[in-house]
Amino acid sequence: MAISSPDSDLAQATDEKPAASDATDADEAESTHWARGYVHDHLAHVLVIGFFIVYPPLYSVLTGLPALDIGVGTVDPGAFFNAFLPATTFLIGMLFLGLFAMSFDFISGYTGYLSFGHAAFYGIGAYTIVLAANGQIPGVPGGTPFMLTMVLGGVIAIIAALAIGAVSFRLTGVYFAMLTLGFAQVLYELIRNWGYVGSNPLEGPNHAGPTPEIGVPFVDSLSVGLGRLSGDSFNNVLGTGIDISATLTSYYAIGVIVVICYFAMQRIIHSPFGRVMIAIRENEERAEAVGYNVFWYKMGAFAMSAFFAAIAGALFAAYTGSASPDSTFYFLVTADALIVTIIGGIGTLAGPLFGSFLFEWLEDILSSQQGGLAPYLRETLPEGLLSVDVAGLTFLELINTLIDGRAPLYLGIVFVLFVLFVPNGLLGSVRDRLGGTVAKCLPAHLERYRR
Amino acid sequence: MIGSLTPALEVLFASDTLTPLFTDGVRSFFRPDTLARIFIEGLGKAAIYFIIAIGLTLVFGLMGILNFAHGAFAMVGAYLGGILMVVGLSSGSGTFTRIAFFVVVVAVIFALLTAVGAALEIGLVRPIYDRTPMYQILLTFGVGLILEELARIIASARGIQPEPTWAAAQATIPTVLGTPSEILLNLFGARIRGFYLFAIVAGAILAAIVWAFLTKTLYGLYIRAGSEDPEMVEALGIDVRKAFTVVFGLGIGLAAVGGVFLMWDPTEGPSVMLNLDVLLYAFVVVVIGGLGSFKGTLVAAIIVGMADSFTTWVFARGIIDFSGLPEVTIFLLLVIALIVRPQGLYGVEEVGGH
Repeated sequence: MAISSPDSDLAQATDEKPAASDATDADEAESTHWARGYVHDHLAHVLVIGFFIVYPPLYSVLTGLPALDIGVGTVDPGAFFNAFLPATTFLIGMLFLGLFAMSFDFISGYTGYLSFGHAAFYGIGAYTIVLAANGQIPGVPGGTPFMLTMVLGGVIAIIAALAIGAVSFRLTGVYFAMLTLGFAQVLYELIRNWGYVGSNPLEGPNHAGPTPEIGVPFVDSLSVGLGRLSGDSFNNVLGTGIDISATLTSYYAIGVIVVICYFAMQRIIHSPFGRVMIAIRENEERAEAVGYNVFWYKMGAFAMSAFFAAIAGALFAAYTGSASPDSTFYFLVTADALIVTIIGGIGTLAGPLFGSFLFEWLEDILSSQQGGLAPYLRETLPEGLLSVDVAGLTFLELINTLIDGRAPLYLGIVFVLFVLFVPNGLLGSVRDRLGGTVAKCLPAHLERYRR
Repeated sequence: MIGSLTPALEVLFASDTLTPLFTDGVRSFFRPDTLARIFIEGLGKAAIYFIIAIGLTLVFGLMGILNFAHGAFAMVGAYLGGILMVVGLSSGSGTFTRIAFFVVVVAVIFALLTAVGAALEIGLVRPIYDRTPMYQILLTFGVGLILEELARIIASARGIQPEPTWAAAQATIPTVLGTPSEILLNLFGARIRGFYLFAIVAGAILAAIVWAFLTKTLYGLYIRAGSEDPEMVEALGIDVRKAFTVVFGLGIGLAAVGGVFLMWDPTEGPSVMLNLDVLLYAFVVVVIGGLGSFKGTLVAAIIVGMADSFTTWVFARGIIDFSGLPEVTIFLLLVIALIVRPQGLYGVEEVGGH
C-alpha cells in the first residue's frame, strides 16, 4: 500500500474535479517561494490527499491485471488485488464515516467530553437532505441545491447541539456521556415512530425528489451530481480518453467536501479557540481560573462538531439516497465513530480518517460481495482442501461462517488490541515516534534521507 | 377504595369539556382493574429492570467502571440458559419441573459466568487500571462487540437464527407463566400474566440476596465503602485487586442471570439484539438511581417499570398513537433525572470520578 508518488497523468486527468485542486495547487506552488514553504509545511496533507486522488484509477489498473500462466499454475494478480484492496464504493463509505468520526473526535478528543449521542447530529443531517429533497421541509422546495440543504442540516444540528449542550454541559464525565446518549435515544425513538418522514418510519425515508447536486449553488456548470443518485458519468474527460464513472464522481465530490471540512476543523483546533478546548481537556478548573468562560467554549465546540457531523450525515444520505433510523440516529452509529477514532488515534484530527480506512478495508475484504476474501478463497483454494472436515463443518463452511461479512468480529478484536496495546491509536503512535505532528516532522525526516 | 373515586370522576368529566378520547382514557385509568394491572405489570417490569441492572451497579460501585460488556454477557446468559433448558427438558415436563430446572440453570450459569468475569478482569481489565477510566469503558465495549459477533457466528452456524429470537428457548417457559389464557392471578377483574408475577418473586429474591451480600459480607462492605470513597478504601489497606476481581466476576454473573430471565420474557427472548437492549436499559436504571447505589437501582427500577407499564397501557388503549412511547418515556426519564439530580437519586457526587 506504499504508493506515495502521485501519478501526474492521472492527477491531470482529475483536474476537472475539485478534489484535485490541492494537488494542482501544490504543483503550481513549486514556482513561488512562500507557496513552496506552505507546501513544505503541508507535505503530509499533500501526500495523503494525492494518494486518495490517484487511488481509484490505480485500483482499476491493479485489479485489471490479466492472469498469467507460469508453467506450474496460473497467477492472477488482478483477482488478488480485487480481494485485498478496498473498492471505491467502500472508500466513499470511508469518507463520510471518517468525517463523522473526525467531528466526534473534535469534541471528544479535544475537549475530553465524550459525546455518546453524536449520531443524533449525523441523523439530523441525513434526514434534512432526504426530507428536503422530497419537499417535506416547509419553506424548502424540492429542487433546492444540495449545498444549501446540507448547510441547512448543519444549522439545524447546531441548534439541536446548543439545546442539548445547554443541559448536558452542566455535567461531566460519565454523566455527560449518558445525558447525550439519552437525548440521542429520545430523538431516535421519536424519528422511528414519526409517520411524517415516510410511509414506514422504521425503515426511514427514501429519496424521491430531484437529484442533489454537489457544487456551487445556482452555477450550473459547477454542479456535479452525486453519482449513485444521478448516475452522472463523464466520458473522455477533456479529451484525455479517461472515463469517470458515476461512483468515481461521487467519490471525488464527497472527497472535496471532506477535505474542506477537515481543514476547517484543523484551522479551528490550531486557533486560540482550539487551544482553549485543549486546556479544558487537560484541566478545566485551571482554564476557568485563567479567565475563560469554559461553558461557552464547550458549547461552541459542541455546536461546531455537530455541524460537521451533520455534513457527514448529509453526504451519507445523498450518496445512499435514503436515511434509516438505525443507520443514522442509533447508538451504534456513534459506536462506529468511537471505534474508528480510537483506532486512528483520539485527539488527532486526521486519525479517525485512517481508522475509518481500516474499518472500510476490513468491511470490504470480509464482505460477501464480489471482491471479498471469502469468494477469493473459494475460487483459488483446491477443491480437496475446501471439503476437509473441521469439527463437524467443512473447511468451506468454516470460511463462509468465519469470513463472510464478519468484519465486526475482527474489528472488535483489533479495537480491543488497540485499547490494550496502542492506546494512542495509529496516528498518535506515529506522532509519538516522530516527536510531533506528521506535517511538522515529515519534511525533516525526508530531508535526512535525501542527504 | 379506588372504586369509590370513579363516580366522582364521572361527574368531573360529565361536562365533556375535554376531548372524548382523553376523558374516556382518564375514566378507564381509574378503574380498579386497570390500576391493578398497571401496578402489577409495572412491578413485574421493575423486577426485570432491577435484575438486568444490578450487576452493572455493583461493578460501578466499587470499581468506577461502566461495564459496556454487561449487555453482551446478558445475551450470553440468555443463549446458554436456552441451550441448557432445551437440552435438559423433555417436552412433557410439568410446570414444577420446569421452574425447578430453571433455578438450577440460573445457579449453573451464575457460577460459570462469574468465573469468566473474574478471568476477564485478571486478563484484560487489570493491565489498564493506571489509565484514565475511559479506557476501561472502551475495553469492555470492545469485549461486548466481540461477544456479540461470536454469538452471531455460532447461532448462524448452528442454525439457531435467523429468527429474531430463538423460539426453542422461549418455548421452554411453563405454560402457566407464558400464555395469556392461563392466568395466575385475577385481580379486580384484571387478568395478569404469570410471567410478571414470576418476575416479581424472582426480582424480590435477587434483591434480598444482593442486599444481604452488600450488608452482611466483607465484599459488600468494600463495595459500599468504594462507592462512597474509592481512595479511602485503598488507603485503608484493603486488597483492592482481589476485591475488584471478585466484584467484576459477580457483576458479569449477575448480568448473565438477567439474560436467563429475559429468555422467557415475552418481548425479548435469546437474540443478538438483547445485547444493546439490556445495555441501554441497564444504563438508564443505574444512572437514574445513582451510579453504584443499590437502593437507587431498586427505586429507579420501580420508577422505570411503572412508567413503562403506564405508557404501554396508554398506547394499547389508543390514547396516544405512538408505538415508541414506552422507550421515549424511559429515555426522557433519564434526561429529566439527570437534569434535576445529576448524581442520580441516591448517588454520591464523586463516584467514578471523571
